[in-house]
Amino acid sequence: MAASVVLQVSEAPGRRAGAKAWLLLSPLLAWLFLFVVAPTIILLCYSFLTGTGLGEVQATFTWENYRRAFHGAYVRIFARSLEYAAITTILCGLIGYPVAHYIGRAESRLRNRLLLLVMIPFLTSFLIRAYAWFIILGDQGLLNSLLESLHVIPTFLSHRLELIYTPTAVIIGLVYTYLPFMILPIYGSVEKLDESLIEAAADLGAGPARAFWRVILPLTWPGVAAGVSLVFIPSIAMFAVTSLMGGAKVRLIGDEIEDQFLSSGNLPFGAALGILLLALFLISFLLFPRGREE
Amino acid sequence: MKRIVSTCVLLGLLLVLPSCHRKPAAESLNLFAWSQYIPQEVIDGFTRETGIKVNYEQYDSNEAMITKLSQGSSRYDLVQPSEYAVENLIHRNMLEPLDFSLIPNVKNLDPQFRDLPYDPGQKYSVPYMTGTTGIVVNTDKIKDPIRGYRDVFQEKYKKRIACVDDNREIVSFALDVLKIPINEVTPENLAKARPLLAQWMPLVRVFNSDDTKRPLAEGDCDLGVVFCGDAASLYETNHAFKYILPEEGTHQFIDNLCVPKGAEHKEAAEKFINYILRPEVSKIISDKFPYTNPNAEARKLLTPAQLANPASYPKTDHLEVFHDIGPGTKLIGELMSELRSKE
Amino acid sequence: MVAKPARGLSSSSKRSTSRRRRNFPRFALAWWTTLTLVFLYLPIALLIFYSFNRSELNLVWQGFTLHWYATIWQNEALMGALSNSLIIASSTTAVSCALGTVAAWLLYRYRFPAARMFNALIFFPMIVPEIIMGVSLLLLFSFLRIRLGFTTVIIAHVTFCFPFVMIAVQSRLQGLDPSLEEAALDLGATPVQAFLKVIVPYLVPAIVAGGLMAFTLSIDEFVVTYFTCNAASSTLPIEIYGRAKRGLDPSVNALSALMIAATIVLLVAANYVRRLSSKPSPEK
Repeated sequence: MAASVVLQVSEAPGRRAGAKAWLLLSPLLAWLFLFVVAPTIILLCYSFLTGTGLGEVQATFTWENYRRAFHGAYVRIFARSLEYAAITTILCGLIGYPVAHYIGRAESRLRNRLLLLVMIPFLTSFLIRAYAWFIILGDQGLLNSLLESLHVIPTFLSHRLELIYTPTAVIIGLVYTYLPFMILPIYGSVEKLDESLIEAAADLGAGPARAFWRVILPLTWPGVAAGVSLVFIPSIAMFAVTSLMGGAKVRLIGDEIEDQFLSSGNLPFGAALGILLLALFLISFLLFPRGREE
Repeated sequence: MKRIVSTCVLLGLLLVLPSCHRKPAAESLNLFAWSQYIPQEVIDGFTRETGIKVNYEQYDSNEAMITKLSQGSSRYDLVQPSEYAVENLIHRNMLEPLDFSLIPNVKNLDPQFRDLPYDPGQKYSVPYMTGTTGIVVNTDKIKDPIRGYRDVFQEKYKKRIACVDDNREIVSFALDVLKIPINEVTPENLAKARPLLAQWMPLVRVFNSDDTKRPLAEGDCDLGVVFCGDAASLYETNHAFKYILPEEGTHQFIDNLCVPKGAEHKEAAEKFINYILRPEVSKIISDKFPYTNPNAEARKLLTPAQLANPASYPKTDHLEVFHDIGPGTKLIGELMSELRSKE
Repeated sequence: MVAKPARGLSSSSKRSTSRRRRNFPRFALAWWTTLTLVFLYLPIALLIFYSFNRSELNLVWQGFTLHWYATIWQNEALMGALSNSLIIASSTTAVSCALGTVAAWLLYRYRFPAARMFNALIFFPMIVPEIIMGVSLLLLFSFLRIRLGFTTVIIAHVTFCFPFVMIAVQSRLQGLDPSLEEAALDLGATPVQAFLKVIVPYLVPAIVAGGLMAFTLSIDEFVVTYFTCNAASSTLPIEIYGRAKRGLDPSVNALSALMIAATIVLLVAANYVRRLSSKPSPEK
């Protein structure tokens, strides 16, 4: 999606940019400078200042913030964020791929309806949807009540499942938020599949499993890669859902940065964490094989 | 084509329409206060009487409030700091002195809440509500006696505990158990508190200062360390919720209304403070958030049941009070971040 | 290029065996898709269901009522947040459309030496984690002593919304016939006039599509808004987050249900517009 457009410049019948063109471009340039470049530079500068907590900042240069960021606790937080993002991505992939595959090869009217169905949650506020999980996962919630009425609880499980405010709840929340982001790009790839190639594979004696593995999956790989980059990368830094579902116990990097900026008030340290996250982010973005639409 | 454009324009107008019905406010008051602490009814009553629109922004810890104030990009007219936060703000010259000629109702306060040590001469603050932090136990679920923090943070209550999401508070529990004065926040003392906290943190199910009573009310937790108003609310709905002041010690807090420097609507703020101090208004606050009410006139309006609520009006001996610990805040923040990451 | 056989059709008997074998995976996939859709919609359905709940606590069902739908309109905080969200989204959309269209056109029309860099900068806010954008904008406004409020929120929203408009317009520009502009210029129009009177009308479907996208993104935007707003400009997601931490009463459910309905309407409208624009445009 957007990822592949970024480094692409459309082939235009462009004239060389004259002074007037530059003038017309200047509002855009000003906007970009003020609200994209400048904030990042300020963030970088802040990360080298000294914070004394509660919002006070002293203008003394220091490496302390970065030193602390590489300290055990924060490395753990980064690692955990990556871990959760990875789990979320894998789960989204496993759940989403078959769905995308089915929709992509469905006939036209069913396909459009299913697409619409997938997109609606995509465009409604993720907070509203995440909050609804409380109703399901709570100790007195629907899932536990269901298990109890089916007598699963006294027989197989000794007590009610404690799901809310746990890492499991956080993962559920993340998967729920990002699933459509995985389904849509894969669908895009599946839809472009050449049916005759699959027929050919079947004619050559390949069973459905082999046809999938050898033909379909490689051909839809660009969609999968796009989906992965749309899920993995943003979910590293998610914070609202994780703090809601995890009861403020599961600390991820997004929660930590928010805490530093708005609660603990150690702005320079928060800025350092932010810069490191940005670096991590840019690296995974650049390294990620995005494949090319062929 | 033209149809599309005109449809869009119409849609656009339709969307802006809802904003038109709002009458332009004559004046407004930017209130920055604790969540679950000022009833909407009180705010609405103030707006009805004075025509001043109140923008109520909420926070869940003093540190969050002070940090936001420090950033200089927000202008608030009224904040609600606890006693140590008032100290910090006075020290950093971030409060405006109050014009008490606009707050005659300050005479309604009980004399013991006038001219308190954190604001000598009572120039910057007016006490709003006071209370204690303590233990609440659902005695329907827990039959063992709970007398203090050590009884709460036991393995057998793992994941059944709710706790306020306040780093300073949590550290003070450990310091109380170790008999270290709660304001001596030094690296050495924190190092001593560390193993205890490391043991306690995984036992807690929910950290939440906005609504600590919900997990307890909904049965997700059976006991917890909460602000007394939450415990009192729980007690009102179900007398099985007992409030206990920990035997190792606890502290008393006094929350105040103050006007930060640079406030644009100082007079409106002072009007609001005066309004809050009216006995009948203060009573409404006590009804909704049953903390300890410092307003002597309001107390006369409370029911015997309310005054007998052991969480609202506990029998207190001399309790400690938090003081501004300056750089200690940063140390606490670092310690707690580290412990939370260990989950 | 091998001619594609119509889907579902097969003639040879060899094919019919493989079709039966293919149908089983198809059947399993259909079930999986249904389950996933249930997973996606169950919380939403519950939310709507409990919006009719008489009890204040969301878990205990105490009878059917339309009470919450009736009272949300008097809830000052919620209505204020809703109207703020709409104002912010409308403004964001307007500015994003203008900025995005002009940006797409200029980058298409003229070869700027640093075009790649501009592109990267434009899309930077879109791909960077929102929390970084939020935090860095907070620092910027703090540094410049700009008061947090409507202006700052709109600036933040526009910064990551206008790239979407730009993408949509860039797509459409790929299909632009260069002779259109040339014809206008030959007829005596200045480049600006040519742009406004010939190019923009051609781009309208893309602008509308991009604008709708920007609007929906802005309405649901939480993270960046969280760092750049104040109480007076609190938007609906911010309000909901605050309430979620404090325990929601069903009036939020009711409002959410209405918003979901509104989103569906918007989506269907977008679909309609898209299908209209794929029809060949009438010659002027």
